[in-house]
Amino acid sequence: MKGISFDIVVSLITGIFVCLIVLPMFALFTSTSLGELANQFKSPYVLASFLISLETSLAVVFLALCLGVPTAYLLGVKKFKGKEIIDTLIDLPICMPPLVAGLALLILLGGNSGFGNLLSNQGIDLIFSKKGIIIAQLFVSTPFLIKSAREAFESIDQNVINASLTLGASKFYTFKKVLLPLAKNGIYAGMVMTWARALGEFGATSMVAGCVPFKTETMTVAIYQNAMSGEMDSSVAIALVLIVFSFTSLFIFKSRLRGQIALS
Amino acid sequence: MGVVLKKISKNYNGRTALKDLDLEVSRGEFHVLLGPNGAGKTTVLSVIAGLTKQDKGTVMVGGRNANGLPPEKRKIGFVFQDYALFPHLSVFDNIAYGLRVRRLKETEIARKIDYYLARVNIEKEKNKYPHQLSGGQKQNVALIRAIVTEPEILLLDEPMSDLDAPAREKTGQELKNFQQEMGITTICVTHDQDEAFSLGDRVSVLNEGKIEQIEAPHDLFYHPKTEFVARFVGAKNILKARIIKIQQHEAIVYINNECLVQPFKIRVKKYPIFEKGKEISLCIHPEKIVLKKPNEAVGNNLNRIRGKIVNKRSNGKTLRATIDIGGTEIHAAIPKALFDFRIHENVWVCFAPDAPHPLCGKRCRADEAGRRCLNEIRSIRS
Repeated sequence: MKGISFDIVVSLITGIFVCLIVLPMFALFTSTSLGELANQFKSPYVLASFLISLETSLAVVFLALCLGVPTAYLLGVKKFKGKEIIDTLIDLPICMPPLVAGLALLILLGGNSGFGNLLSNQGIDLIFSKKGIIIAQLFVSTPFLIKSAREAFESIDQNVINASLTLGASKFYTFKKVLLPLAKNGIYAGMVMTWARALGEFGATSMVAGCVPFKTETMTVAIYQNAMSGEMDSSVAIALVLIVFSFTSLFIFKSRLRGQIALS
Repeated sequence: MGVVLKKISKNYNGRTALKDLDLEVSRGEFHVLLGPNGAGKTTVLSVIAGLTKQDKGTVMVGGRNANGLPPEKRKIGFVFQDYALFPHLSVFDNIAYGLRVRRLKETEIARKIDYYLARVNIEKEKNKYPHQLSGGQKQNVALIRAIVTEPEILLLDEPMSDLDAPAREKTGQELKNFQQEMGITTICVTHDQDEAFSLGDRVSVLNEGKIEQIEAPHDLFYHPKTEFVARFVGAKNILKARIIKIQQHEAIVYINNECLVQPFKIRVKKYPIFEKGKEISLCIHPEKIVLKKPNEAVGNNLNRIRGKIVNKRSNGKTLRATIDIGGTEIHAAIPKALFDFRIHENVWVCFAPDAPHPLCGKRCRADEAGRRCLNEIRSIRS
C-alpha cells in the first residue's frame, strides 16, 4: 500500500472511532434545551452530587498519591521475591467488575464481619458514608496511578540512581531529588487517570455507600437514579456537567504536560 | 593502600562474573582494568562502589573494610560509561549535587564549580541541560561531578568509549591532569589498549572474571605472560617451541607449531625458566619483526625464516603484514615508509634473538585462531 493511501485508511479508521465517542455526547447535548439545563444547574440536588463527586474524587487522588507512589517505587526500582504476585494483585481491581469490588468491600466493612465490627466499635462507620465512597473509589482507581508511576520509575536509568548514591546521597535524598522529579510526568498522568476513574466510578460506590441524596449520591449514582425514575432532565444535566468538567480538566492537564515535555 | 580486593567472587544467575579476584591498587595510583566485553571489569567497579554486593571476598577502601558500607559512605566518585548525568538538572546543578548533599554553602559551591568548569572550558554551558551538551562536554561534566567532592577513590567505567578520536585525546589528558594534581586513587575500566597504556600507571588484564596479569603498560605490552594477554595486546605471533640447547646467553629452540609444514630452529635469549627439553610458548611482537627481500643480506645476529606475504592492511602510520611461513602465519607491523613489498612476494622474516619471550613457560592453549591451518584459510578465501 502506498504511503498516502495508507494514511487515508488510518485517518478513516480514527474518524470512525472519534464518531463513536462524539455521537453519543452529541445526542446527550441535543436531548435538552439550554433553559432547562440552566434550571437544572441551579438545583441544589445537582450541585450537591457535583460537590460530593468532586470532594471524594480529590480525596481519592490525594490518598492514592500517598499509597501509590511508594508502591510504584518499590515495584519499579527494587528487585525482590514475590514482586510479580504483588504486581498482579495490584492490577486485579482494574480487571475486577466494580460491583464485585463493591460487594467485597461491603462484606469486609459491614457490621457482620469481624473487621467491620472492630471499626464500628471504634466509632468508624464506613458503609453508607462519604468515607465509604472514598474507600470504594480508592480500591478501583489507585492501580491506575500505580501502573503509570511504576512505568515512570522503571524508565529511569539505574546508573542515574547509582550516580546519586555514589555522590553521597541517601536513598531518601535520591528519591526526593532524582526519582520523584524524573517520574513526575508519569505520576501526574496516573493522578489524572485515577481522578477520572474515581469521578466516573459507579458500581463499587453504589454498593458501599448506597445512594442517599445530599449525602452519598455522587454524580454517576445520581445519573442512574434519575434515569431510572424518569427524571431525564436532571440525569442529562448531571451527565453534561460530568462530561464538560472531565473534558476541560483533561485537556488542560494534557496541554500543560505536553508543554513540560517539550521544554525538557 | 588505596583499594584492596581479596578473593572477590560474584555470580549472576549462575554465570560467573568474578572468580577469586585479588587486586591491590596503591594510594594515588592510576590503575587500568583492561579486558574484552564480559570479562567482569564493570562488576569490579560496581563491587568497589558498593553498588553490587559480592558473593565472597573482602573490599578494603582507604584501609577500611568496606564490605558493610553502603555506596554513599564509601567516599568514591564514579564516572559511568553513559555518564548518568541527571537529565532534569542543569550542568551547574549536576555538579553541585554532591556538594549540596555535603551541605556546603552555595557561595562555596559556586566557587568550586566555576573553577572546574573554567579548567575544561565549559563555563558557558553552566546553565545548559545534559541533552544540550556534546559527548565530550557530558564526559567533562560527569568527571567534574565525580571529583568536585574530592573522593578518596575515583572509578571510571569506559569514560571515553563514546568520544571521537580528538575528544578522546583531549579528555584523556584532562583526566590524567586532574588525577595527578589531586592524587586521587583511580581505577579505570576500558577495553581499549591504547587508552589503557596511555592513562595507566599499571594495567590489569581481566579475562573471564580473573586477572591474568598486572604490569606497567610497557612491560605488559612487550612482555605478556599468557597467551590471552599476548593476543589482547596485539602480540599475535605465538610460537610453540621445544628447547633443544642452552648456551651461555642464548638457547636454541625448535619451533613446532601444529600446522607448521617444516619445523625449524631459532636462537632465543636465555630466560631463567629455560630447561633443556622443555616445551614453551614464545611470543614475538609484530613491531619487532623486520622483513627483507630474498636477495638481501641478513646479519648473523638475526633469526631468519622464509615466508610469503599473504595479506597487508594499513593501520595508521604502519602497515600490518601477514606472512605465511609454511603452515603458520606471522604478523609484522612495519612503518609505511619502509614497506616495499607486494602480496605473494617471498620475504625473509627476521627478528633478533631477544625479540621472542616466553609466556610463563606454559604451552599455548590450542585455541581456534592458533590452530588454523593455512590451507583452511586459503580454502575460505577461495
